[in-house]
Amino acid sequence: MKYMLMLFEPETDWEAHPDELQANLAEHDAFSTWLKERGITEVGGEALRGPSTATTLRKVGDEMVVTDGPFAELKEHLGGYYIIDAKDLDEAIEAARRCPTGTVTEIRPIWDMTDYT
Amino acid sequence: MLATVVRLTRDLDAAQDAVQEAFAAAVPAWRANGVPANPGAWLTTTARRKAVSARRHVSAVESRLPLLVVDEPGDADPFPDDRLRLLFTCCHPALDLAARVALTLNVVCGLPTADIGRIFLVPESTMAARVTRAKRKIRAAGIPYRVPAPDEIADRLPSVLATVYLFFVQGHTPPRGEELTAADVTARALDLARVLAALLPGEPEVVGLLALLLLTEARRPARADAAGAPVLLADQDRARWDRRLIAEGLALVRPEPRGPYAIQAAIAAVHALAPRAADTDWAAIVRLYDDLLAVHPSPVAALARTMAYAEVAGPSAGLAAVDLLAADSRLAGYHVLPAARADLLRRLGRSVESAQEYARAAELAGNAAERAYLLARAAEHGNGSPPRLP
Repeated sequence: MKYMLMLFEPETDWEAHPDELQANLAEHDAFSTWLKERGITEVGGEALRGPSTATTLRKVGDEMVVTDGPFAELKEHLGGYYIIDAKDLDEAIEAARRCPTGTVTEIRPIWDMTDYT
Repeated sequence: MLATVVRLTRDLDAAQDAVQEAFAAAVPAWRANGVPANPGAWLTTTARRKAVSARRHVSAVESRLPLLVVDEPGDADPFPDDRLRLLFTCCHPALDLAARVALTLNVVCGLPTADIGRIFLVPESTMAARVTRAKRKIRAAGIPYRVPAPDEIADRLPSVLATVYLFFVQGHTPPRGEELTAADVTARALDLARVLAALLPGEPEVVGLLALLLLTEARRPARADAAGAPVLLADQDRARWDRRLIAEGLALVRPEPRGPYAIQAAIAAVHALAPRAADTDWAAIVRLYDDLLAVHPSPVAALARTMAYAEVAGPSAGLAAVDLLAADSRLAGYHVLPAARADLLRRLGRSVESAQEYARAAELAGNAAERAYLLARAAEHGNGSPPRLP
């Protein structure tokens, strides 16, 4: 079963702190290695640029109006995600516990739409 | 259309779901491709397809989920692992606590949603929706049907224990309604705690929870008078305490308890061991509350500690300690806080203030029997005449 791990963290200017960025990348590499050893498939995963780079479109009447900034102003924002293929929620929780993250990790099951198409 | 689908599913619920899904699917499909020549046939075909795929899904889940309510004829193990497996599933921390209790009662204890609704004083439809939502989450989020590995038990157990405890409390002092206790509810919660202790005898908190519930339940016959009004622990006729439950509970209390349930069981044991209220070892109770607050801080436990402390240090020191807690906003709507103040003020002879506090507590109490008791006390100390109980 596929799950998305959504990693929420306070906005950080990673490029201003190259050492921390390197350390963080190393943690993510270690996480990927752990997933492989644990037999959990890493389907995908990316880091996102900060919320100050976000562009949001919002439906106003029939029009999609383009605005600057993220959809929701939060203290923690979505900084990146993984999609993993785990046996069940417990395995996904085990992975999320290991996953390097700022403050909050939300796990959402990926909806298998093959029953509907 | 429903009848056609029912013939296929032989299950009205599943058929209704499939039909509803077909209508929901029609909106985007027809918007994208135009309304089909025969909309009725389109909907029926879609609903049938949905029902088939739903049934495939259900049977896949059911094959993984044996019905545990059925007692297995095996003689070696009276509690098949399946029951524990299901309990851990229903009490998964990814489910809302209220949903966990409802689901456990429905799936593990086989209680119909109407009965669960009565226990929690919500309409059957609300309870049914809550159970359905939880079941849906189990399926959609992939909550597994398995007993956690030994190294996971410590993480997962609190959620199970909290579920059983909440269930018990619901019967011990219903938050609303007329009766002070609901004996059938506490009996079922006790059953569940016994099952859990039989399945996990090596877990101190499981044993602690069972001991706590046994020692608390033992006092039930004395907790209300003939008219149904509550009787405080100090005033209870201890001859009416259930000695068999006390013996069973005391045998499970261990020295130097560490976890919150085991510590609370030890506190209940101190009460159970006192032949009269005056014999209570309050200093031991204060120490145990200190232990409890160290592992599991809560404003309610802190309030209970100050009441024990008042027995050791006197009502004046007790009142000062309670007033320190009164600043905690989490206790703002909790009727026991003004009731505690009222009791201490009464002992200090400040009867007017005491009556005011009893009245305030009565306003906050949701349980009718408790409210009546508090109002009677307010009247008693307000005008000096004895309370008239209904």
